[in-house]
Amino acid sequence: MKTVEVSGLSYSYEDGTVALKDVSISVEDGEKVAVVGPNGAGKSTLLHLLAGFRMPFTGTVAVAGVRLDEGTGDQVRRNIGLLFQDPDDQIFMPTVEEDVAFGPVNLGMDDVQGRVERALRSVGIEHLAKRRPHRLSYGMKKRVAIAGVLAMDPRVLLLDEPTSGLDPRSRAELVTVLRGIKRTMVIATHDLDAAAEVVDRAVVLNTSVAWQGSMAELVSAKDVLEGAGLEPPQTAKLFRRMAGMGYDVQTVPVTMDQAAAEFAAVIEREAGRRRDGPKGTGGGR
Amino acid sequence: MLVAHVRGHRIRAEELDEYARGSWLVRLDARAKLVGVLVFVVATALLTETRLVLASLALSVAFAAMSQVPPRHLAKAYLGALPFILVASASVFLFAGAERGVDMWARTSSCVLALLVLASGTETFDLFSGLRRLHVPAIMTTLLMLTYKFVLVMADEMARMTVARRARGFGGGRSLLDRRGLRLLSYTAGMVFVRSSDRADRTYEALKARGFDKEMRPMRATRVGALDGVFIAWFATSSALLLVMQLGVAG
Amino acid sequence: MHIPDGLMDPTVALTGWIEFLVVAAVALYMVRGRTSEKDIPRIAVLAAGVFVAQMLNFPVGGGTTGHLVGGALMAIMVGPVVAIMGMTVILIIQALLFGDGGVTALGLNAVNMAIIAPLSGWGVYTLLKPILAKKGDARFGPGASLAVGVGAWASVFLAASACAAELAVSYAVSGGAYGIAATVSVPAMLGYHAVIGVGEAAITVGVITYLWNVSPGAFAREASTTAKPSGLRGVLHSRVAQATVAVLIAFALALPLYFMYSAQGEDGLETVMTENGVEEGSAVLTSPFSYGESYFAALFAGILGFLATALMALALLRVLRGRESTD
Repeated sequence: MKTVEVSGLSYSYEDGTVALKDVSISVEDGEKVAVVGPNGAGKSTLLHLLAGFRMPFTGTVAVAGVRLDEGTGDQVRRNIGLLFQDPDDQIFMPTVEEDVAFGPVNLGMDDVQGRVERALRSVGIEHLAKRRPHRLSYGMKKRVAIAGVLAMDPRVLLLDEPTSGLDPRSRAELVTVLRGIKRTMVIATHDLDAAAEVVDRAVVLNTSVAWQGSMAELVSAKDVLEGAGLEPPQTAKLFRRMAGMGYDVQTVPVTMDQAAAEFAAVIEREAGRRRDGPKGTGGGR
Repeated sequence: MLVAHVRGHRIRAEELDEYARGSWLVRLDARAKLVGVLVFVVATALLTETRLVLASLALSVAFAAMSQVPPRHLAKAYLGALPFILVASASVFLFAGAERGVDMWARTSSCVLALLVLASGTETFDLFSGLRRLHVPAIMTTLLMLTYKFVLVMADEMARMTVARRARGFGGGRSLLDRRGLRLLSYTAGMVFVRSSDRADRTYEALKARGFDKEMRPMRATRVGALDGVFIAWFATSSALLLVMQLGVAG
Repeated sequence: MHIPDGLMDPTVALTGWIEFLVVAAVALYMVRGRTSEKDIPRIAVLAAGVFVAQMLNFPVGGGTTGHLVGGALMAIMVGPVVAIMGMTVILIIQALLFGDGGVTALGLNAVNMAIIAPLSGWGVYTLLKPILAKKGDARFGPGASLAVGVGAWASVFLAASACAAELAVSYAVSGGAYGIAATVSVPAMLGYHAVIGVGEAAITVGVITYLWNVSPGAFAREASTTAKPSGLRGVLHSRVAQATVAVLIAFALALPLYFMYSAQGEDGLETVMTENGVEEGSAVLTSPFSYGESYFAALFAGILGFLATALMALALLRVLRGRESTD
């Protein structure tokens, strides 16, 4: 059973505009998937729809085996952790730990204190437990919101533009946090650099699914990216340029780690080429 | 007889919660604090004998002093409530004599002070939570909590818009006849409302997404302890004594 | 207009609480049917908005400022019943957190600002709008704006009148121990709030016009009934009837006070006079009292009578012109 199973999903807004058209996506347990696309592509709408907040729709949606319809909204939401774009929308309580506890308390879970502590630890904000969220920085508030969602132990995390509005440092820290979380995830974003560091698979959405595949394939698929108005990650751009300049780039890297490794490999190959001459003939330049 | 309204809520709401941190009052159960202070306020409102009214005021001041709430904060808050008190006291003073005027001032001040100490010594959320546990309907207390949350956000927005307005050269009108002034004022107010409908819907989704179901429940349910008992007993006894003496005098 | 604790006579304050609780219970009951969970944050946001708007100072000339009450604004936006709840929430927050308005006096404050203001504001607006606004006018034209303005002014003026009545009755009933004498409270409250009301009208019109032009769907509007039931139910469904009822309730809330006053007034005053050893007929000291008594009574009755008649006339006009099915 797939954690998220969407089949032939179509949804239009009240005024008639089509938001999603014949979308079919599935997410396995433990997978991390990015839903990328330009603004207005329906990424956010898709996430909110999965959480049962956009009805009626045509097609089928199932989360952790539960079919989503008018009556099963609450049931489906028990398995989902939806992170909103603006953390202020999502923080209700006077202290951080109380806010993180909000979900577990409402769902009647056991060991609320333990859950809260673990959630705070997994996003690195245990020291903020007694602080007032109102006063925290935007980046910290996002982490509080994530902790609040993690504390509910959902089967799948739905993150709506998690890196938007963050300064570079906070963004980098958040990416590290998301990498470290071992949970099924669907991230809606247009920040491909961040997505590249976190997910294995990507879905390009532009009202309908334009393309699906691995992240590695996506960073090389120039026409797909262009068609969707997306910028490839910086690393991919760099290595593409280098390949164009004549260097021996064998794989376009996705993550920074891969980039460093490939860069080192290119250097090695380049040094080797200068030593050995082109295609194995002797002599150097 | 025009009275200038000083009520401007200059104390920003979030500061209230800051003061709560410093006081031993925070450790008490909100229900106990509410019951104790309310009993005191009701009793005080029934007093007309001057000596008793002054006694009540003395108790109120003592409460304030012992509460460890910064006096400056209480003074500022008291000033906010002053206009109506002054008008009432002054007119009573003029028409029914000095003693009655003093009674009026002392009685209203005693009540206001006690309530301000209660508010300053309690987390706002706990205050509303306490009301809920005292059987105020859930829809009311949930509305109170959510409204308070939104007030914090919107007050910031309003302040930012006012600054933006001032930066563009408009400070404030001179009188009601200043139509442009009033119009700008109401447009600022209008802008705050327009975005709030979406904010409300997003908040609803965020609440449901974390399992909200009619109640805003706190993490730990506080229990009434010995200290709470002492608190209530103190206010109950002193209030009862004052009332008995009042009834004795009135005959 | 926020009354602190200890200002009003306890029986007046108790009357206020009883009136408030009864109306609030009815309002809650009516609201339950019509609102869903989703509306709760919306009401909260609206209450927060009016709360913040109340912080705005507007100048009334001569260096003094006034504040928005917001009852009419809320009622015109989401209807009178929800407005009762929203205004009550605002008053509770102000009383508990800021000492702005007392807790024993909450009943009276609620009657004035959370019941009388929204009901009369909405009622007057609903009755006036079809008369003043051109039919089929898509824009929120000057006629509609005038209706909003008059409604807002009336809401403040009537709330202030109620407050003045409560103060005067408290004074009379308690023999001067509580309240403010009628000779002071009535002219002061009515005079000041007649001016403040203009500011309220201007801001309310400004906000409503702005919202109408920018995003008319922002808040729930009163749904127009598609089929008009006939007979008595038809009458009850008509907006005219609802509006008239709303305003009449506002007046009805003032009645117990008036009865209290006329029942007790003499005794209270006589007690004060005897206590102070004042002889009847001593010109300097007694004239304010006797002048005050008849002045207050006449003024109060006059205002009530005039407004009630005016509203009846308006309602009649509406009925004669034919019932409107939409706003």
